Amino acid sequence: MTYKTNKGGLSRRSFNSLLGTAAFATTLPTLSTQAFAAAGDTIRIGWIGPRSGPLGIFGEADNWLAGLLAGTYANGVEISGKTYAVEVLMTDTQSDPVRASQATKDLINSENPDLIIASSTPETTNPVSDACEAAGTPSVTTIAPWEAFYFGRGGVPGQPSPFKWSFHFSFGAGDFGPLYVDQWNKIETNKKVGMLLPNDADGNAIRMGLIPALEAAGFEVFDAGPYENGSSDFSNQITFFKNEGVEIINAFPFPPDFPVFWRQAAQLGLAQQLKIMQVAKAGLFAAEMEGLGELGYGVATGAYWHKKFPYSSPATGLSSAALADGFEATIGKQWSQQAGANAALLDVAMAALVASGNPKDKAAVAAAFGTLVADTAVGTVDFSKGPVPGVATTPLVGAQWTRASEGPYPFTLQVTSNALAPDVPLTADLAPYKIGG
Amino acid sequence: MTDYSIRPIPQFDRAIIAGAGMAFVVFGLLPMFGSALVVDKLTMLFIYIILAVTWNLLAGYAGLVSVGHQAFVGLGAYMMLRMVEAGVPPFIAIVAGGAVIALIAWPMAAFVLRLRAGEFAIAMWVLAETIRSLVMLDPYIQGETGRSLVVLNAYDPDMRRNTIYLMALVLAGAVIVISYRLLHGRLGGETQAIRDDEEAAGSVGVSTFRVKRIIFVLSAVGCALAGTLWLASAITFQPRTAFGIQWSVFMLFMVLVGGLGSILGPILGAVLFMTLQVIFGDFGVWYLAGLGIVAMLFALHVPRGIVGLLSEKMGREPITMQKLLNPKRT
Repeated sequence: MTYKTNKGGLSRRSFNSLLGTAAFATTLPTLSTQAFAAAGDTIRIGWIGPRSGPLGIFGEADNWLAGLLAGTYANGVEISGKTYAVEVLMTDTQSDPVRASQATKDLINSENPDLIIASSTPETTNPVSDACEAAGTPSVTTIAPWEAFYFGRGGVPGQPSPFKWSFHFSFGAGDFGPLYVDQWNKIETNKKVGMLLPNDADGNAIRMGLIPALEAAGFEVFDAGPYENGSSDFSNQITFFKNEGVEIINAFPFPPDFPVFWRQAAQLGLAQQLKIMQVAKAGLFAAEMEGLGELGYGVATGAYWHKKFPYSSPATGLSSAALADGFEATIGKQWSQQAGANAALLDVAMAALVASGNPKDKAAVAAAFGTLVADTAVGTVDFSKGPVPGVATTPLVGAQWTRASEGPYPFTLQVTSNALAPDVPLTADLAPYKIGG
Repeated sequence: MTDYSIRPIPQFDRAIIAGAGMAFVVFGLLPMFGSALVVDKLTMLFIYIILAVTWNLLAGYAGLVSVGHQAFVGLGAYMMLRMVEAGVPPFIAIVAGGAVIALIAWPMAAFVLRLRAGEFAIAMWVLAETIRSLVMLDPYIQGETGRSLVVLNAYDPDMRRNTIYLMALVLAGAVIVISYRLLHGRLGGETQAIRDDEEAAGSVGVSTFRVKRIIFVLSAVGCALAGTLWLASAITFQPRTAFGIQWSVFMLFMVLVGGLGSILGPILGAVLFMTLQVIFGDFGVWYLAGLGIVAMLFALHVPRGIVGLLSEKMGREPITMQKLLNPKRT
């Protein structure tokens, strides 16, 4: 079993042949050698993820997790009586969708991987899935609302799936309704909710799906209307929320926008009247809260993985608690949800390769996803019961950032609602928001 | 009385042109023996060549510096997406989606070409952002999420890759030949007169607006074709990427480094850019910073780009579009 970093999917050799092409005539014979064919008994997994650039925080754990996988399968994996070595090829998207697409194509063309995996945000998962779909290479992706994966790439409700090679497992936009109703009913409020939703796909999907669900559950919803991502002034929305007397705010901001909004909300006196500040999309990482300082304590969020998840990851061989501890020991930062979420991606990948019966047959690997049920760090992932073909859903839990009772990290993430994942233990009661915690 | 004749094309230039013709044929045969990786990389190179040549047409010959031509890259891709949705076969939509942009660029020219230099550059950027916002309002595009051209998975990957490669090759060749022919004719003289002094050109009877409009529309269609080809090979349409400012930065880099206002410059610039991207692209932020430094060094020390260096060595510009005159006795 090996694990190697493939910086960009283009080897020295293939680059030389490319140079040769540029010089045409003289070097033509060398071009005909398709020298990149994989050895017959090594499974090659291409892992494409954002490891530098603005989304780099999502990929912090990747190299460490790939190393753990290498350890688990040091003696290979036995599939249908044959033992295969496992090789993971790491490629960085640099947080750029164009590069994600290009890197996927390069990896497929030069290394012929048996399965491509990718994680975190539609800017990563969609270009990678599209490139795999076009090249006829199976792929599985995670950590992007499944609606963005399916409808954002041309899937149409009620029609057969147009995708043959790309698969996805994640939470969905529809999960927020039941989660928030459960979480918000845990404390006494006037049930007036202010919604801060940008004019992007997530914002609009949430506007159409979540607002009716909240109203049906007895909440009174005040929508401040769509705004452009990257806004620097939220005073209109803040005044609107103040005038309506809301005690709950629910925001789905582009992550850099949240501190802008939240600082203004504190300056203009909105934060002082709130009991719940519920944020999604932003607020996933402790680093964001540390950036907010005193304003960060008490912000409520959702979590797709937590170190208290009572599951373990077969591919890395670690329990959830061990994943969190290992992350802190290896990366030197507070554990993040990505540790478990991306471990689950490896779990699903290995389960699919094993279930295929023949991991070197791309059609067999793709077919395996149809009925795949895999145990992972985020619980059981079941592709046979997906909302649409080729998609499996995973749960979200409600959570709240609170002041850590002991160091070294100032914030701790408490599980405050488990309506969608009853197996996950609650670690604290939701506390009303108060500046400074 | 002395009359002047235009000098014939020098021997060396003929050799370059013949070499280019041969290269075209070799590239045309390449899918039969080249690896998929090489075919993919060369497709991207041809797209870059289309972008560089058309942007140079505008900036290098008509003197119109645009930082908003990503509007046409994005619009081309969007048109293709819409056409395919309406039932047009995707490979036809690559060309049709690009061509239809002429209908948008023509009326647009009436507004933006009234602006001078800096105003024009800024107006184009503003227009690009406005067009992106409008495209994002289309429910089919779903705001930031975008839409993928997933119908292309119906074709065999090798056939699809090679078809797009050949289309990119032919379109890049066509863009080069068309701009060469145009610049060699009357329009070439007129555009360069406008670039050097618009008022003087007007005073000697050049219809400056007409000439600028033709060049503007051509450059828009070129960018749109690059957009459709890029969408066909990348498949994912996300408005922030398709309408991203990076396209303008790439064009600026390729033309500046290759040689503004020359016919070979943008092609050499595109080859250099692609090579840098392949070798250094993995370094992420440092790669981008490096590109910036290279562009600055060229702007400061080699303002005429690689072609400028070649010209100094040879004593004249290879394949120049300047009219060289011979005194001729009558």
